[in-house]
Amino acid sequence: MAFNVLVVDDSAVMRQMVVRTLRMSGLPLGMVLEAGNGEEGLFVLQEQWVDLLLLDINMPVMNGEEMLRRLRAAPETASLPVIVVSTEGSETRLAALQELGAAIVRKPFAPETLRDTILRITGVTDVEYYGPVPVAGDDSDF
Amino acid sequence: MSSTTVQSLSRATTATFEELALLFPEQELSPEQAAAPLDVAVSVEFRGPQRGRLVLRASSTILSSIAANMLGEDASRERPLQRDALGEIANVICGNVLPAIAGVEAVFHLSAPYVHEGVDVVSRGADEPTASIMFGLENGRAEAVLYLFSDMDDAEPVAQGAVSAA
Repeated sequence: MAFNVLVVDDSAVMRQMVVRTLRMSGLPLGMVLEAGNGEEGLFVLQEQWVDLLLLDINMPVMNGEEMLRRLRAAPETASLPVIVVSTEGSETRLAALQELGAAIVRKPFAPETLRDTILRITGVTDVEYYGPVPVAGDDSDF
Repeated sequence: MSSTTVQSLSRATTATFEELALLFPEQELSPEQAAAPLDVAVSVEFRGPQRGRLVLRASSTILSSIAANMLGEDASRERPLQRDALGEIANVICGNVLPAIAGVEAVFHLSAPYVHEGVDVVSRGADEPTASIMFGLENGRAEAVLYLFSDMDDAEPVAQGAVSAA
């Protein structure tokens, strides 16, 4: 399965960094789309189906929390896997996002952290992606 | 509070450079690092339970390494991307230091990072930094400075320190 991913962040640098991490992670990627704020992100989602949304919180025009609320209110995106990638440190605000079904990855993040979170919330397992792990039998040389 | 704030700033700065830029701040500066000018600066304003600014000053000699590690070798040669990468580091440092000094329930609003060319334009006249740290990075150095503003203009004097391990 190849993932179509939308990355929404007002920082072009952070979008590029997230996309780079995605490409280095070994995940099977389809289209990788980008948007600079929540409003642009909603517009992209009207035109394209994605399997995963990576979302910043503090953005101009429409922030990530508002975008997430609108997504959850629409039947076609109500269960879209969402990972909030943000510097947000307020537990109050993070708890509200988690109640909306988002996973949280705090910046700064290690690439493995983002990859593991994607695997967890999309339900893809290492075994499915990397294939069955070979098991040495009785005739093994070891 | 001052030493606690310095420690919080140091931890946030170290962790951000290590994880985001794969660079390891050095507490002891070499003569080459100490002589390198701090000729680029970025700032992030914040408001919430406290209002202030995080300023990150750096030697331009380290910008290509930061950009390369964050964005790849191609991006490392583009000057605007180098400065934007430094801005993102400042943004992440700011986002991580604020909960440490104001509590995890506090909600802050951060401005987009602003890039300054030159070093004298990032403080507001009589503003005194609340905390600052200086550290070596590759063949240059950097300084993170935290300002907490108050309406009564009663900010505590600067507490200086060196980067410690995250």
